Amino acid sequence: MKPLTPPSIRTRLTRALLVSSVLWIVAVAAAVWLTVHDEVDELLDDTLQAAAEGLRGPLSQPLAVEPAAAAVTPAASGSGRFAWQVVDHLAAGEARTVAASALAPAAPLRRVPSGGFSDSDEWRVFGIPLADGRRWLYVAQTHAERQEALAETALSAALATLAIALLAQVWLQAQIRHELLPLQRLAQHLGGRDPEDIGAALGAAERSELQPVHAAIDELTRRLALRLARERAFTGHAAHSLRTPLAGIDAQLAVALRESPADLQPRLQRVRTAARRLHRVVSALLTLFRSSAAVHPQELDVAEMIPRLAVEGLAFEFPDRLRLTADADLLAAALLNLFDNSLRHGASRVRLSLLDRNVLRVHDDGTGVRPEQRESLQTALGGRVDASVGGLGLLLVDLVARAHGGSLQLPAVEHGFAADLHLSPLQPAA
Amino acid sequence: MRLLLIEDDDILGEGLRDFLTADGHRVDWCRTLQQVAGHEGEPYDALLVDWQLPDGSGLDWLRGRRRRGDTAPALMLTARDLLGDRIRGLDSGADDYLVKPFAPEELAARLRAVSRRIAGSADARRLIGDVEVDLAARTVWLTGQRVELTSREWAILEALLLRPGRIVTKADLERLVLGFAAEWASNAVEVHVAALRRKLGRAVVETVRGIGYRLGGGQ
Repeated sequence: MKPLTPPSIRTRLTRALLVSSVLWIVAVAAAVWLTVHDEVDELLDDTLQAAAEGLRGPLSQPLAVEPAAAAVTPAASGSGRFAWQVVDHLAAGEARTVAASALAPAAPLRRVPSGGFSDSDEWRVFGIPLADGRRWLYVAQTHAERQEALAETALSAALATLAIALLAQVWLQAQIRHELLPLQRLAQHLGGRDPEDIGAALGAAERSELQPVHAAIDELTRRLALRLARERAFTGHAAHSLRTPLAGIDAQLAVALRESPADLQPRLQRVRTAARRLHRVVSALLTLFRSSAAVHPQELDVAEMIPRLAVEGLAFEFPDRLRLTADADLLAAALLNLFDNSLRHGASRVRLSLLDRNVLRVHDDGTGVRPEQRESLQTALGGRVDASVGGLGLLLVDLVARAHGGSLQLPAVEHGFAADLHLSPLQPAA
Repeated sequence: MRLLLIEDDDILGEGLRDFLTADGHRVDWCRTLQQVAGHEGEPYDALLVDWQLPDGSGLDWLRGRRRRGDTAPALMLTARDLLGDRIRGLDSGADDYLVKPFAPEELAARLRAVSRRIAGSADARRLIGDVEVDLAARTVWLTGQRVELTSREWAILEALLLRPGRIVTKADLERLVLGFAAEWASNAVEVHVAALRRKLGRAVVETVRGIGYRLGGGQ
């Protein structure tokens, strides 16, 4: 199963910023809209009123022209944004346009005298009386015109807000990246740190938020280094306490074998063989569990190692050169356990070969295991569950392979038992 | 060979002493450096030294002995198997390094190998005129005929073979052949040398009058 990728701080912060930016833009746009709506409305009304006040003077002169002729736009009509009408309100609710600007409608804007602001379907109108109370000046502006002005203002404000938001987004992204750099540097520093170095402290953090992390890591490293030192000391004592008696047992048995009567010798020899198996297991255990035994891979020729590892009762077949890259001590421990395994399963011959780069096969002619047993062994090794299924030997070999980043594979073979020691990470199948 | 074995573990020390003695060596076994002090000045063909001893470091003891000019071959016997330890051991004057547990047969083989190297030849076979000696097989031939030697006769021949061209005093020869605690008749060396000459010819051992003996045959 593919491991889950943990969420990224940067992505999460970016997403949060994006959402907050959008919300901010919406909120700002709404506020701008409301403000602009009121302000622009007021401004336009002021302008309308000012225009009316401005036109009032010139248009208060008696108009001796016909309405059509009066349609000539005086300068006061301004930019053409406004329309104006001079309307005579007659009796019985009748009204007659006396003069009007070009933009003004033909019909009077108001049928009855209407001072101040008022609205019709299409127009916003400001009316003021001119002379005798019968003649009125109406300055008007279409609602469409006003909406357009309002929309233009709102759009400008919204665009400016959006631009600021986008710029802020880019800047914040860069800032987030920058602020996450100390974490990257911390990771790099930790990657190159020796866990056995008690004196190595991370020191002051680049950011105050990282200070507790630094302190926790320093404390953890200190405890780890102390534990490693204690383990190393323990292993040294354990090595002496275990290896010396074993050597003594072997020496005593060697003497006993020489001095004993012939009928006792096979029994003593069996005891000595068992003692030597114990040597191998103890040696492998001590090698594997020595805390300072960081893997030291080197170019090795297994063919040169075999004579030194030779186990009584086993004949070995291997090519002239069996070169691979591995930790010599760990590989020796693994091979000794595999050979021991072979002996215990009735093998007399072991063949070693290189299957691939850094994949060593050890194949014996022993009784082997049943297919279902082989599968359960492989499962136990792979999942590291119920280690008792495979026994200590295979577990140790698997640990050696894992220490090299690889694994122990138990392939199906026709005769005997085979173990493939992958001493580097498994390559995915092509 | 006369060997000094320094090992504090009783079971291992006793086993090694008995095994090597049965192999024809004379073994002086000390459990502590304090006991070793009583053997200072004794001639040994090889030293078998445990690193960790109850009263000190075998490695430091060996280093001191080397500083004083002792060239006897030395094998470190230790439970310390780290590369750094092996390097330290060899750099401190050990000629070989054996990690416990080891088979005594391997120790015996390494002793022979070290001795051959010190004696100036990688070959276990030596020729002294018509006499051919196989140090590994502890066998002697005179003009192609195998000759049986007693353990004492062999010990004298071996002691001289391991010191080619050097004069070995009678006192040293006595101690090399019999060991620290043994008691000899005053003329025992002469008796065994005479027996050797009778079996292998007069030329095999030269007498340096008033001093001691030297391997014959121009060696």
